[in-house]
Amino acid sequence: MVDALNHFYFLIDGILIVFYRVTGITIVDYMIGTFCLSMIAVVLGEFTVSIALKFNKKYIGQLSERMNRKESMAIAAYEKGDMDGYKALNKQASDAWGKKFFTMMGHSAAILWPIPFALGWMQTRFQGVDFEISFPFSLVMDSVGYTFSFFPIYILGRIVFAHMRPWLPYFSSVHKSLMEAAADSK
Amino acid sequence: MKHKMTWVFLLIMAAAIILPLLSATPVMADKLSDAIAAAPQGTGKGQIDPAAAKGFLGIPGGPSPGLVICFLWAVWVGWIFSTVGAFGGIMAGVGHITIYGLGAYAKTFKETSPGLNKMMTDSIRVSNQWLVGLSALVTSINYGRQKRLVTSLGFFLGIGALLATLMVVYGTAGKVSFSQYQGYFGLCVFLIAMFMIYEMSSKGQAKKKAAKAAAKAFEDTVKSKGDIAEQGVKTLKWSFIKTEISFFGQKFSFSPMWALAGGFFISALASFIGVGGGFLYVPFLTSVAGLPMFVVAGTSALAVLIGMIFSIFNFMVIKGVLIYWPMIGIELVGIFVGSMIGPRTGKYIPEKALKWIFLVLAFYIGLRYTMRGFFGIAML
Repeated sequence: MVDALNHFYFLIDGILIVFYRVTGITIVDYMIGTFCLSMIAVVLGEFTVSIALKFNKKYIGQLSERMNRKESMAIAAYEKGDMDGYKALNKQASDAWGKKFFTMMGHSAAILWPIPFALGWMQTRFQGVDFEISFPFSLVMDSVGYTFSFFPIYILGRIVFAHMRPWLPYFSSVHKSLMEAAADSK
Repeated sequence: MKHKMTWVFLLIMAAAIILPLLSATPVMADKLSDAIAAAPQGTGKGQIDPAAAKGFLGIPGGPSPGLVICFLWAVWVGWIFSTVGAFGGIMAGVGHITIYGLGAYAKTFKETSPGLNKMMTDSIRVSNQWLVGLSALVTSINYGRQKRLVTSLGFFLGIGALLATLMVVYGTAGKVSFSQYQGYFGLCVFLIAMFMIYEMSSKGQAKKKAAKAAAKAFEDTVKSKGDIAEQGVKTLKWSFIKTEISFFGQKFSFSPMWALAGGFFISALASFIGVGGGFLYVPFLTSVAGLPMFVVAGTSALAVLIGMIFSIFNFMVIKGVLIYWPMIGIELVGIFVGSMIGPRTGKYIPEKALKWIFLVLAFYIGLRYTMRGFFGIAML
C-alpha cells in the first residue's frame, strides 16, 4: 500500500504544488495553496455524497420516518403522564436513532474521504514545519503543524462552496433536490 | 440576524487562520525520527534496517498493509455500521490492531525500543478516533441545523470531556505499551459481549417484550404529535444544581453535575480505547438522565465530537502523535462503499441471526485480546 500511495502522491505533487507558488510570499502562498487543496477536497466529497444520497434516499427516508414517529409518540406519552409508555417509546426511538446514526456515519465518509488523502500529501511536503501561534492562542500552546492549519481553511472552503453551489454545473441540481427534500420534511 | 452571524463566524475563522500563521519555522527533528534513530539497527526482530523500504509512518521496514486488504476490511466495517451499528467501530480497531499487521509489528519493539512500541500504540489509538471524529462532525452539523442540540447539556458534557481527555493524554500518551492497550481494548469488547448476552437472555428478552407492549399500548390509544422538530429545543434555566429545557411545551430537567461526571467517565474510556463513546452516551442520557431521544440524539453526537476534538488535538498537537493519513483515506472510502452495500444486503439476514453472529465475534475478540494483551496467551 505504502509504495502505491507514494507513487500516487508523486504523480499529483507537480499539479498541487503549483497552487503553493502563486505570489512568492511563503505564508500567503501556503494559505492560497491550502485553500485550493481544500476546495478540491470539498468538491470531490460533495460529488460523492450526492451520488450516495441518490442511491440510498429511500432507505434513509424510512429510517428517519421511524425515528421521528417514535420520538413524537414518546413526547405525547410524556405529555399524558404515561411514564412507562414514555420510557418504552424513548428506548425504541433510541434504537431507531442508532440505526440511522451509523448509516449516516457511512455517508459522512463519502463527504470526508478526500481530507486524509489531502493531509497525506501535505505530510510529504510540510511534515516538520511548525506554525508559531500568536497571543492569545499562544497561551494554550506555542505552535501547530500542517494538520491544524488545514482544518480552518477547509471549513472556509466549505462555506465558500455552500454559497457557490446554486450556480455550479451539476451541483445546482443537487442543491435544488436538497432544498426540495428539506421543504418536504417540514 | 442570520447574515450578521455568518459575518461574525467568518471573521472568527479569518482570525483563527491568520493569527496562528504569523511565521513558519522548520523543526529539526520529530519524535518519530528520534525513536527510529534510537532503535537498534539490523534485519532481525525488533530492529530497524535503514536500507529497507519505508512502510507505515515512513518507518524503514515498517508494515505496508495491502491496499486491497485495507479497502476490503473497511467495506466490512461500513457494512456493519449500516446494518448492526456501533460494532463497526470495534471492527475498525481490530483492523488497525490485527488485520493490517500494525499491532504485531509494534510488539516486536517491546524489549528493543519501548519508545517506538508506545508511539505506534498511540498512532493506532488516534487512527481509530479520526474515523469516529470525522463522522461525528458531519452528524453534529446535521442535528444543529435541525435545532436538536442542547447547548447547556453539550456544555457540561464538554467540560467533562475536556478534563477527561487532558487526564488521559497526559497520563497515558507515550506510556501505554501495545500489549496493555490490546488488553484494555479486549476487556472493553468483552464487557460489550456480556451486555449482548444479557440482552439475548430470557430475562433481557422479557424486559424488551414488556417495553414493546407498553409502547404499543400507548401508540394504539394516542395519535403522534406530528412534526416536533419544528419547535426546536430551548434552555429555560441554567444552574449548576438543575438545568431546565423545554420543547413542544414540555419541560425536562437534568443535573449538570451528572452530565459533567458522565462526560468525564465516558470520554476518558473513549479517549483511552480510541472509540467514540456514542454507544455509552445514548443509554446514559436516556436511562440515567431520563431525557427524550429528540434531545439526546444530536447532543450525544456533539458530545462525541467534542471529546474527539479534545482527544485528537491533545494527542497530536501536545504529544506529537503521528498517523498515516492515506490509510485513513482508504478506510473512509471502504466504509462508504460498505454503507452503500449494507442496506441492500443486510435485509436478507434475520436480525436475530445478525445479533448472534456479532455476539460470538465480540466474545471471541474480547477474550482473545484480553488473554493476549494481559497474560501473553495466544489463542486461535
